[in-house]
Amino acid sequence: MLSNGAVLTGMGVGLEAVAAEVFRVKPSAELPAPAKHSGDQDAQTQQLKKAIADVAEEMNQLAEKAGETSAEIFEALVMLLEDEELFETAVGEIESGWNAATAFVNSVEQYAELFAGDATFEERLNDIRDLAKRVAASIAGISIGLKLPTEGRFVIVGEDFSPADTAQFTQAVVGVVTIQGGPTSHTAIICRSKSIPAVVSCSQAAELVDGMQVLVDPVGDRVVVGGQASEATRPISFIAKSQDPIIPVRANIGSLEDAIAAAASAAEGVGLFRTELLYLSAKTQPSREAQAKSYSEILSAAPQGPIVVRTIDAGSDKPVPFLDMGHEENPALGVRGYRLINQHRDFILDQLASLELARVESGREVWVMAPMVATYSEAIEFAELARSAGDFKVGVMVETPSLVYEIPHLAGKLDFISVGTNDLSQYLFASDRMNPALGAMLNPWQPALIRALEQIAVNCADAKIYSGVCGESASDPAFAVVLAGMGFHSVSSSRSQVGAVRTALSAVTQDQAREVFEAALTGKSADEAKSAALKVLTAFSEN
Amino acid sequence: MPTIKGSVTVLDPIGLHARPAGQIVKLVKDSGLEVRMGKPGEDLVKANSPLRMMAMKAKTGEELAVEVDAEDDATAQAIISQIQDFLKG
Repeated sequence: MLSNGAVLTGMGVGLEAVAAEVFRVKPSAELPAPAKHSGDQDAQTQQLKKAIADVAEEMNQLAEKAGETSAEIFEALVMLLEDEELFETAVGEIESGWNAATAFVNSVEQYAELFAGDATFEERLNDIRDLAKRVAASIAGISIGLKLPTEGRFVIVGEDFSPADTAQFTQAVVGVVTIQGGPTSHTAIICRSKSIPAVVSCSQAAELVDGMQVLVDPVGDRVVVGGQASEATRPISFIAKSQDPIIPVRANIGSLEDAIAAAASAAEGVGLFRTELLYLSAKTQPSREAQAKSYSEILSAAPQGPIVVRTIDAGSDKPVPFLDMGHEENPALGVRGYRLINQHRDFILDQLASLELARVESGREVWVMAPMVATYSEAIEFAELARSAGDFKVGVMVETPSLVYEIPHLAGKLDFISVGTNDLSQYLFASDRMNPALGAMLNPWQPALIRALEQIAVNCADAKIYSGVCGESASDPAFAVVLAGMGFHSVSSSRSQVGAVRTALSAVTQDQAREVFEAALTGKSADEAKSAALKVLTAFSEN
Repeated sequence: MPTIKGSVTVLDPIGLHARPAGQIVKLVKDSGLEVRMGKPGEDLVKANSPLRMMAMKAKTGEELAVEVDAEDDATAQAIISQIQDFLKG
């Protein structure tokens, strides 16, 4: 049992702290084992009918809460759930003695066998199995969906939260603590964008129980049992000393809405324009004119300054409907990003041609870069394609460790590089970003990542290649100072963080940033690196 | 009731997936008619179950037979042409 004053360490997300009561999200309860019923077939059939109707209602409510695109997904799920043949098959199972829940699960499994091995339907298969579980849970009176309070103020505590879970966060969720998950987990990204204070990767949080009062203290990377808001670790209060930050702070965008919002921030241009969002929902390849029109609108709306556009970053885990991606055992290590060039060269050429049309139309300065480039030849090939397609500055993302060693050889061939720290961490530490148990490996303060980043900055300076960072780590004001200290030329942050990062980079001089970076280098662990850097940074920024 | 036969082609790039299957079933249910679909040479299945339709695993470019039990040809043809529409993706 945790006593008042106990401190649980994790990784903080956000700058604000919050103190509230714990609401423990239960790990989904075990469903009852398959069983026979005691003889009343009609009662079982009625029970099943009611459970299906209840789950359908639940899905309809989720559809209402979700945006338009997600609503369609929920509607399709309801159609499958209410499938007449599925129900008839289940009734047959009830007739052969199985109880309602077992009958429905068995019935779904019969269809699952029909779909098995077909990549197109694999995902639906999981959806249908999930529906079967929900129906079985409803019959057993067990809750497996998230049931969050809608009133009051709670810190919700759980293993990690899926996109479906976070879509259900209510007004009453004022803080979040996860046992697993890292700084780039879905939970962290959502909490950052919704400004909900969170501490992730907090293993001791498993001991928190309903009713406890806790302080979620993201700046202190900790949760304090019984803590009050007044005990929160003060974020370094950066006092801007100059009008301009020591290096430009750009914004990350993915849509027209993002571009408009970023233009309202203090961002100097865009450091990462993720283009795949424009294609993920398209059923067929949009025409060059249609692509150019979308790009032109976004480029025109984007904040003043250069706009760094990343060519499509899709893979079998992030499939684009009209590009046949197939199924892969390890999508993160598979055919993704620029590797699509082999199968879909025309598409990439089309994208570049559309961007050139949009560049001319909007009159903006456009830089283009390819994601997931691992070799010198790929970098050169992309640079040639891009230069012949239009009047762009040309670069590549540095996400694979192999490319770190090629930078010196790319002198004179590339105008710039941009580091995606999330993927670089994943590949450097051989730690799946999607595996919530490995979150701590993806902490940007990991000493080996800091050293790899320094290597990149130094190699770029020697090769006279402009270098930027656009991963999540560049949204952390203190880490952005470290990046500037290493010698990166710009950072690109999620738009909600642009202001905070800019202020931090206006509160120090280049020499001071260098000292902060050198302090970080003394750490033997992520925690040590962070606290050493913050100590020096606090002294500079507040005096 | 006479059976009117026709055929449609799957043009949707992901094949006969959940969404068109759902649209077809809804259309069939709203019409109150019995409609059967299937790959040529295989048993046709009633088009009242999206799962059953998806289980045909019809891929882009494949032709499917459609049978509509309807009193008049025009109603049946209208249903067949709407099904074709849903399969355009």
